[in-house]
Amino acid sequence: MATNCIRCLARPSLPPSFLVNASSSLRIQSLPSTASMGKRYASKLNRPTTNGPRKNEKVKGQKTLRIKKKPPPKTGKPPQPGERKAMRKRIVLSNTNALEVPGMRELDKGLVGEWEMGIRDARRQAEEGHWVLEGALGMVAKEGAKEGEAKNGEGVIGQVVALQGQTVDSLRAVEAFKTTQGWGFFRRPGLLIREESVMLSRKLIQAEQGNLRLVIDGERGTGKSLLLLHAMATAFVRGWIVINIPEAQEVTNAMNDYAPLPNTNPTLFTQPTYTATLLSRINKANPILADMEISLTHSLPIPIQSNISLSRLCELGARDPDVAWPIFQAFWAELMAEGMPPVLLSLDGLSNIMRESMYLAPDTSKVHAHDLALIDHFVNYLSGKRRLENGGAVLAAASRSHAPTSKSMELVLKQLVELQKGEEEITEKDPFEKSYDDRVEWALGVGSEKATKAGPVEVLKLKGLSKKEARGLMEYWAKSGVLRKKVDEKEVAEKWALAGNGVVAEIERGALRMRI
Amino acid sequence: MKVAWLPVSIREGLRCAYSPRPTVFNSPMRRCVLSTSSNQFSTSTRLRAGIAAPEIQFKEEGDGRDGEGKIFYARLLPESPSYFTAQPAFTDDLLALQDLVRKYSRLPVVKPSEAPRVAWRSLAEYRNMVGESVKASKYHKVVEVLRRLNLIHPSLIPHDVTKALNEYKRDVNPFQNVPKIIPVDEFGRACAIGRRKTSSAKVYVVEGNGEVLVNGKTLAEAFGRIHDRESAIWALKATDRIDKYNVFALTRGGGTTGQAEAVTLAVGKALLAHEPALKPALRRAGCITRDPRRVERKKPGHVKARKMPAWVKR
Repeated sequence: MATNCIRCLARPSLPPSFLVNASSSLRIQSLPSTASMGKRYASKLNRPTTNGPRKNEKVKGQKTLRIKKKPPPKTGKPPQPGERKAMRKRIVLSNTNALEVPGMRELDKGLVGEWEMGIRDARRQAEEGHWVLEGALGMVAKEGAKEGEAKNGEGVIGQVVALQGQTVDSLRAVEAFKTTQGWGFFRRPGLLIREESVMLSRKLIQAEQGNLRLVIDGERGTGKSLLLLHAMATAFVRGWIVINIPEAQEVTNAMNDYAPLPNTNPTLFTQPTYTATLLSRINKANPILADMEISLTHSLPIPIQSNISLSRLCELGARDPDVAWPIFQAFWAELMAEGMPPVLLSLDGLSNIMRESMYLAPDTSKVHAHDLALIDHFVNYLSGKRRLENGGAVLAAASRSHAPTSKSMELVLKQLVELQKGEEEITEKDPFEKSYDDRVEWALGVGSEKATKAGPVEVLKLKGLSKKEARGLMEYWAKSGVLRKKVDEKEVAEKWALAGNGVVAEIERGALRMRI
Repeated sequence: MKVAWLPVSIREGLRCAYSPRPTVFNSPMRRCVLSTSSNQFSTSTRLRAGIAAPEIQFKEEGDGRDGEGKIFYARLLPESPSYFTAQPAFTDDLLALQDLVRKYSRLPVVKPSEAPRVAWRSLAEYRNMVGESVKASKYHKVVEVLRRLNLIHPSLIPHDVTKALNEYKRDVNPFQNVPKIIPVDEFGRACAIGRRKTSSAKVYVVEGNGEVLVNGKTLAEAFGRIHDRESAIWALKATDRIDKYNVFALTRGGGTTGQAEAVTLAVGKALLAHEPALKPALRRAGCITRDPRRVERKKPGHVKARKMPAWVKR
């Protein structure tokens, strides 16, 4: 951030380092004069000596009239380096002009607990089901189940719940919020609870005793990233440790430094700076790390004390990119040790890591994304090759905007969805397509040869909202004062149809952003 | 071509060339005379023939056998008694039609509203046909008689009446151009086709809950512009039927705007199959009339349809 002058609120003309020096030293009296003199001399010296004809002097034989063009008036100072990017990446999570919505539930332990109760009830019903159905009380049992559902957190489907302050801080730290999402419209960040999100939450809760490997797919604007955010929020509420790669593109598009990892075959490449920032994000997002002490011994390139907290360990890694990768590995080993909380590994923009990265190997061939150490780590867990020892989940969301095509990924996801639906004909590989990638298939747990024991990943195919959910969302907008219309069945039906059968981003575009 | 103002001698021949009833004349006498004169531009035109009595056959020219039986007129007799009226052809026509009315006055008639709708020839066409300057009020008399003849019960109408009526009917009967009624098939679908610019859309509309598929894609995928999406389901929106029907559309040709508006028209038509009473509402919403505008053609010497190259001094 740019430092401002105290009195005039203008940005300083001198670089900040100079200002710091001037204010801290006692030579305030003498400094400005010398500085200004030096500046004056410099400006005289630097002025270019022009011997040729001046700009607006009439040249002999020239017939056309030349009118002097005034340079545009300079208003303010140009933005400082990085300022524009900061503006672009700025995430606004609240709007004081928006109305506060009364009676909003929070996504807290109570709500997640209700979902957990739902799982237990479902299990119990499944156990009891076979004999209840035989009896004459089948109908009664069904009605009872319906009431139970409403109690078990499904009544909240179609409502917007607010995120707790602590969760918001953590989510912000893992960069789960994105600039394209309309957080800045509302008083406080809230999430629409859809059927899929309750389902995913329940799966996450179940995954505390096992492992969940899931890919979220869907059309553009169907809420894939927001479902990922919902999963992270649930994980934070449940006290998990969340490691998020917010934009897979940043890992693979060769904008970070990289180095080969010795003693690996095939050679893996680490990304020291990226890993360091990842560690700092992890540290910031998971405050529970401060209470956990190191339990194992590690051989690290830097000496560390044996009783430091995991938070401190991350800090050490974040400080020095050169040791970031070994420290990340040590940190991960600590997480996999016994008695640690479950871990959520998540990644947005899956197709970016399902192809060759933009990095070049020493022989100028492209490095496959799976040969990047960080991605390799992620893919090992996504494919099921390695298990999260203390339970947890590996989530990946596909992306439809500015996403590269990965033929294999598309095919595998399509096949898996067809398998889920129980269709008779499963799409087969195009025999003339050359760009299929075995490593991608393996990463999704499908590959033929080195097929993993864990089986293929689960796929959650997102579609548009149901009308009930759309109505809940629009009512929330209306209560926030953003949507100034009567929300009735007709209005909802129209917006729902115009948004391509309830694609949530399109509903938002039509209702909030395209107001004329 | 307007013949009435031409000189009489040319008029006849031209009428024969251009008239929609070139050789059919009402009076049998005229017809038999004309059949003898083959060359239309010679002196023996209809007029001449009309004025003059049949040619005199002298005994010397003929065989002399049947010469005695022929009546010999010393004076020229007009072909038709209405020769001395101002518009002999018109008078003949009117009289012939009135004869028919009198002849068949006893046949049962239908109500005027139930008679088949016929568009009679316009006054200009009739003038062109007979080659006389007939007044509008006079022609109106003819039309009135024709209407009376048209009232005769269609199953009993005599052949000669039909023949006479056909002469006065317009070549193309606009009342026969009736739009086909779109059926709703056994699956509850109504299929209709709409066009706009160079696009055409085939649309199936069924009762449903407001789902729309265009070429197998959702509305949002098919049309990026919200305006296009709105115009695609405008027929449903204007009648508050968005959540009552599902639409499956197939569009071909043209651009996105054309395709969207072709879908509008097709959905409007198909909706009419389900609810015909919506027609006025749909017409007000602009979902009935096909927009006939197309890209204007480029002309030689122009840069585009209208744009001219810049003027250069030399």
